[in-house]
Amino acid sequence: MATTFKTLNSANDVASTRTLLHEAIPLTGTIASGTYDDNNIKTYSHGMFESVYDYPYLSSSANHIFDITTGYASNSSLSGSGVQNSKKLNVYSQMAQVLVGYDATGSIQNFDQDGDIATGGTKINEAIFVNFSRLLTKDEIKKGSFIVSFLTGGTPAARTDTLTLQDHEGATSYKVNSPAGEYGILYTSSSGITADSGVGLVYYQAGVAVLTGSIFDGTMGPGISSGTYDSLATGSTIEVMADSFRNRLVDIDFNNTVELNSTVYFCRASHNEFNYSANPTYLSESQIRVKNSTTDNPVSYVTTVGLYSSDNELLAVAKLSEPLKKDPSTEVTLRVRLDF
Amino acid sequence: MAFLDNSGDIILDAVLTDTGRMRLAKGDGSFKIAKFALGDDEINYELYDKNHASGSAYYDIEIVQSPVLEAFTNNTSMLKSKLMTISRTNLLYLPQIVNNTTVGLSSNNTNSILTVLVDQTTVNDTTITATGDYIDGYRLVDTKSPIVMDQGIVSNAIGDGSSVVLDADLTETQFMIEIDNRFGNIWDGNGAAQATPSFVDDDNVATYYLSTSTNKTYFGKSGTSMSGEVIAGPRGKRLQFLVAPSVDLNSSTYLFTQLGTTATLGSSVYQIDTTVRITGVTTGYRVDLPIRFVKKQ
Repeated sequence: MATTFKTLNSANDVASTRTLLHEAIPLTGTIASGTYDDNNIKTYSHGMFESVYDYPYLSSSANHIFDITTGYASNSSLSGSGVQNSKKLNVYSQMAQVLVGYDATGSIQNFDQDGDIATGGTKINEAIFVNFSRLLTKDEIKKGSFIVSFLTGGTPAARTDTLTLQDHEGATSYKVNSPAGEYGILYTSSSGITADSGVGLVYYQAGVAVLTGSIFDGTMGPGISSGTYDSLATGSTIEVMADSFRNRLVDIDFNNTVELNSTVYFCRASHNEFNYSANPTYLSESQIRVKNSTTDNPVSYVTTVGLYSSDNELLAVAKLSEPLKKDPSTEVTLRVRLDF
Repeated sequence: MAFLDNSGDIILDAVLTDTGRMRLAKGDGSFKIAKFALGDDEINYELYDKNHASGSAYYDIEIVQSPVLEAFTNNTSMLKSKLMTISRTNLLYLPQIVNNTTVGLSSNNTNSILTVLVDQTTVNDTTITATGDYIDGYRLVDTKSPIVMDQGIVSNAIGDGSSVVLDADLTETQFMIEIDNRFGNIWDGNGAAQATPSFVDDDNVATYYLSTSTNKTYFGKSGTSMSGEVIAGPRGKRLQFLVAPSVDLNSSTYLFTQLGTTATLGSSVYQIDTTVRITGVTTGYRVDLPIRFVKKQ
C-alpha cells in the first residue's frame, strides 16, 4: 500500500527538552540621563514613578526599559508629613506586598536586608525601586549576573565615589521566601559578606531591584536643588527622587534568561520509505523520470518536513537548507524542533 | 585517521502553520502532532539528466543545487507534493489522476474553464447556457454530467487498461477534495446528496474525504470495467462529483464584487475563479482543477 504519511511513535519519536538561553543586557547610565536630553524619560501626572525608554518615547522605535520609583515604610523615620508622603508610603507598601508578602496576621512585611524575614533583623525601610521591563528580563534575570553602579558621593554637579553593587552569592545562595519568586542580595563586595552587609535586593523573576537609600552619602538632586537622600526623600517628589537616581547611575548589567521548551520530533525515513514522489514533474506519461528501467533505484529529494494532526491537517513545517537525496540505500532521521 | 564531518547533522526548526496556531490557541487538545510527511515542492524532476555526459554522479546535479525556500505559514500552500512510500523498488510507472472530459463535464466552450452557474436567473438566461457546458447551480440534478477524475497509468507501456488492472497498492481508496468554502461545496455525481467536509480551516478551505467504502455514490466503474476512459494503461478508481455554489454566491453579489470580476458570457456576468484540488490519499498525487462561478448581472 502506497502511503505519504508516517505515524510518529510518541515513545520513541518524540522528545521534550528544556533549554535556558541567556542574553547579556548592558544598560549604560547615559541612556538614563544625557543621551536624549531626557526625551526618553516619561513622567506621569500621578507622579508615582517615571519610565526610561531606550529612545525618545514619542518615537515608535522606542522600547520601555525600566521604571524608577521610591518610597518608605510606615515605620520609617522619614514617614510623616513630607512631600507626597502618602504616595511614597503607598509605593513602598505595594512593592512590599507583592515582593515580600504578609506575615501571619496579614500585615505587609518590610523588605529585609539579609532576606531572613522570619527572624527580624535590619529592614530596608527607605528604598529606591528599579522595575525592569519584561522586554529586558524575559523570563528572569540570571542569578549572579546583576551588577549596578552609581556615583554615590559628591554633589549633583560633581558626583564622586563609584559604588558597584552585585548579587555576589546569587547563583548559589539565593532566597526563596518571597511570594514573587527567587531573589538575591546585593553587596558592595564579594568579600566580607555578613548579615548586615547587604544594600539591596534583586528579584530575579519579577525583574525588580530594591536599593536601600542609605548607599547615597553625598548630596542628591537632579540639578540646582540638592540635599541628602533623607532630606530629598521627605522634601521632594518621587519624580525628583527618580531624576536624582538617574543622574547618579553609571550602568546596569545583567543577563536575562529565556526558558525554551522544545519538542523534538524524530522523523525517521527508513531505507524503503519516501523513495517515490507525488511531484507533478516526477512523471512523464506516468513513467518515473529518474528511472530508466525497473531495476534502477527510485530516487526522491526531500526539501520539506510537515508535521500533521491525525486528521491530516498541517500543523507545523520545517525546511531543509538544501535538497536531501533519498533512495533505498539511505536512511534519514530528521530532527524537527518545535519551540514553545 | 581524519575526523568525521558532522556539519551535516540535521536539526530543523519548525514553524507553526496558521492552522497550527489556531488549534493551539483553542486549547481543546486538537493541537496534537501525530504523523509526518516529507515534501519536495521546490524540486523539478525534469532537471534529472539521465544522459549527462559526465556520468551518473551528475544526473541530479541540477536538482541538488536547487535553492530551497523558507517555510511559510499558510497550511494550504506547503507540502503540495509529498514523497511516497512504496515498499517495491521496481516500479517504473506510477498512476496519475486525470480529468475525464469524455464522459464527464468539460470546460465551457466560450471561456474554456469548468463553469458553475450559481442561481436560477443565470441558468434561465439562454444566451449564457448556450455558451457551453456548465454546472447547474440552481438545480444540480439537471447538470449534464458530473466532474469525472480517472486514476491510472496514462501510458499503455505495461499493459492495456481494458485488460490489466492497476496494482492494488497503487489504487486509490480515498480521495481528498479541497475547495474554498465561501464559494462552493461538494455534492455527489448525481447532485442528490451534499458531502460533509471533514474540517474547514482558518482560510475557509473545506476539506472533504471521500472513501470508496463509505461514499460509494462518488465513485464510478473502476479498473477494467471503466468506460469512456481517457487512461490507456491500467486503471484504478473513477471519482465523480459536482460543485454547488454557496448560499452567498447564490443569493448575493457581495463576494463577486469583492473578489471577482465582470465579464461577458452570453450576457454580462459576475465571475469568481477558484481552484478545486483533488488529491489521491494513497499516492498523494494531486490535481488542481480551475473552476469559475458565474452570476448574471
